[in-house]
Amino acid sequence: MERLLPLVAALPLISALLVHALAGGLGRRVARLSIGFSLTGFAASSVLLALAIAGQAPRTLTFGAAWGSLLFDPLSVLMATVVSGISLIVHIYSQRYMVEERGFARFYVLLDLMTAALLVMVSAADMITLLIAWHLIGMLLYFLLGQDTRSQTAYRYAFWTLFTYRFGDLPMLLAAGLLYTAFGTWSLPEIFSALAAQPDIRTWFDLPLAEVVAGLIALSAFARSAQFLMHTWLPYTMGGPTPVSALMHAGIVNAGGFLINRFAPVFVHTSDVLHWVFLIGLITAVMGSVLMLAQHDIKKALGYSTMGQMGFMIMECGVGAFSLAVYHLIAHGVFKGTLFLGAGGVIGDARKDDGVPKDDLYTFVVERRPERQRRPWLLMAAITLLVPGAILFAAHYLVEAEFFHKQGAVVLLFFGWITGAQLIFATYRMRTENLARLFTLILTSFTVVVVGYTVISHGFDLFLYPDPVFRAGISTAADIDLIWFDVLVAVVTAFIVLGWLFTYYAEQQRIRDRAWFQALRRRFYRVISREFFINDLYGGAGRLIEAGASRLNVLLRWS
Amino acid sequence: MSTAIYLLAALFLPLFPLSMAFNQLAARTRQPLVRAVLLLIWPQLGIGLIALAALPPPAWFRVWALVTAALYAYRAIALRDVGLWIGFIATSAWSLVWLGGAVPAELALQALAFSAPLVLLSLLTGDLERHFGAAHTRLQLGLASVAPRYALALVMAILAAVATPVFPNFFTILATISSPVAGGDMGLSPLVIGSVVALVWLLWSWSGIRLLQGIVVGVGRERAVADMSRARARAYAIGYLILAGAGLELAGVLL
Repeated sequence: MERLLPLVAALPLISALLVHALAGGLGRRVARLSIGFSLTGFAASSVLLALAIAGQAPRTLTFGAAWGSLLFDPLSVLMATVVSGISLIVHIYSQRYMVEERGFARFYVLLDLMTAALLVMVSAADMITLLIAWHLIGMLLYFLLGQDTRSQTAYRYAFWTLFTYRFGDLPMLLAAGLLYTAFGTWSLPEIFSALAAQPDIRTWFDLPLAEVVAGLIALSAFARSAQFLMHTWLPYTMGGPTPVSALMHAGIVNAGGFLINRFAPVFVHTSDVLHWVFLIGLITAVMGSVLMLAQHDIKKALGYSTMGQMGFMIMECGVGAFSLAVYHLIAHGVFKGTLFLGAGGVIGDARKDDGVPKDDLYTFVVERRPERQRRPWLLMAAITLLVPGAILFAAHYLVEAEFFHKQGAVVLLFFGWITGAQLIFATYRMRTENLARLFTLILTSFTVVVVGYTVISHGFDLFLYPDPVFRAGISTAADIDLIWFDVLVAVVTAFIVLGWLFTYYAEQQRIRDRAWFQALRRRFYRVISREFFINDLYGGAGRLIEAGASRLNVLLRWS
Repeated sequence: MSTAIYLLAALFLPLFPLSMAFNQLAARTRQPLVRAVLLLIWPQLGIGLIALAALPPPAWFRVWALVTAALYAYRAIALRDVGLWIGFIATSAWSLVWLGGAVPAELALQALAFSAPLVLLSLLTGDLERHFGAAHTRLQLGLASVAPRYALALVMAILAAVATPVFPNFFTILATISSPVAGGDMGLSPLVIGSVVALVWLLWSWSGIRLLQGIVVGVGRERAVADMSRARARAYAIGYLILAGAGLELAGVLL
């Protein structure tokens, strides 16, 4: 049955060829053909997922001598189901959304090719197949974003995307070269076995191979998942059709998290790389969230929201919660895809009638008019401690006794506590006629956050990484010295608590009305509204590089 | 004696500044067929000379080749004319052949893998020049709107030229990077060699996509233009399929 896997990857390819061949005769009805293939692909990948859940052993399906192989394992079939599912939704949505667009058939051809490339990427069993799929995704995305071939703007930003993606291809290419030089094979399972047998093998400059390869793979993942300094393309690619935005945010930018998971057997032999991964993810999460708050355009805000989410996903990898990152990328894919597909309708409706409900939530969140009557804050503060405490206590007995010993779990729970507490403090001043309902909602959302980090993480861990020794290895690879860890947790806690206290003090003293505060705020807003000047810097550097090439050509008489 | 032969070979597997001769010649050759033959034959002459020398080239030749490849890839990003661009990319690509090992038969295959996509592009450029007067971004052709078959053929040709998988030059680049001999005798770490080759690949894409955008994207100035005939479009499609097939075949030989 696992032989269905090549069929899953081949179906969209066949669909692309048929759509191209039959578009002249069938006209816009070719969309139905494409949807039919998409549906079949989704059904086949669901069968494969069911097989994997039932415990079918991983298997490599080989089609060529040195390369050209697909891997049937829990990660590949889970991702194949996600990709084919999201692709199916985008296919169905586009049938009406794109009906008046020029190049309707071309769009479906590209969509099918992109689905095929994504499916090959998630199931590639050797470095060359992975490289080819990884590279083609960037190329196909460029043409999908440039669906309107008359729009120079759409193509300008599509070019940014392509350049970043191509930049991200290079580390993977180098990693492939290193691994082949070291082990003489392109096969991923063989590479991972060889590395497990000699984890301390050295490479060029006498560097540890595992660290170098993991670093290069992480760089590729950063470029694909719009991590800080390689994020500038993401919010500007809204010139592409909405279904492409949905597919991109739901199924393409997430590839960084997948890639790190695919190379987990390499990361498990590292000692430092995951700390850098965590740091980059953290910076991206914070930057993305800050920039999102400063946007007025709904799609651009969604773009920065994706950046923040991707930062968080990479951060999860950095703390060793690899399988949680997979869960995160699936959850993010589903909700962000929904938001994008709904964004067009919301904008369209808002043009006719703002339709803004003048209810409590709106006045509180948008108009920032809090109710003066407040809930007892001591009760709220107690909730922030008691709920996670109770869940952790339960997790200790129900999920895993060693749960607290994993630094990654502690960091994520800590993060969950902060965000949950932030939510509670934010809603603490919210007016409500039904206090019980508000409390129920607060408790439920808080509980979901913390439960999400314990039970779901554990469930995905068991499915994707059934070997407990391997799971422990990933956790160890992400660990830092215990004293440093405690110090860091203490410092961050103090920083956040002081932030809360300062906010409370500032509100009491009405600091926000003072001139110095207003000036500081304006300056900060200017920096944020210019996106920390990173785009300006890159644009300037690009122009400088091109001007240099031009001068050189003149000097050398164009020969 | 062998150094002299290698210096002569550096004219045909062009290394800067000897490469300027090839680019002058290519720019002056306006006949597409002659240009295509030039692209096929020129590097093979260089490989013939390398085979004649019988000894591996001195290490500094390889460093020189690496510098040339990077220089022409960098210079290509400022080009707006497809004809000139073909010459620069050919120079940059053929320089990489110097890093490709010591077996002349393999080198010949690698050079062919770099030349073949450029030959197709060169023929297409001839068509474009005949049809539109030039293949230049300043013309603002907006090819996708006015002549979609020409646009598709050009997109495929440029993607093939910048070593997109599964065209043969992609596998040649991969073989160069993964080859353990790539930097062995050069006094440079293979990591450095690999990084420069990867950078060259990135610059090809940069220049190629800029060129593509200038010609394919936008609202065309000319309103009524006859598109490429179906028969010719099919011929190009077969050409790209053969190229892709050759790429897969070459992968079996090189990797």
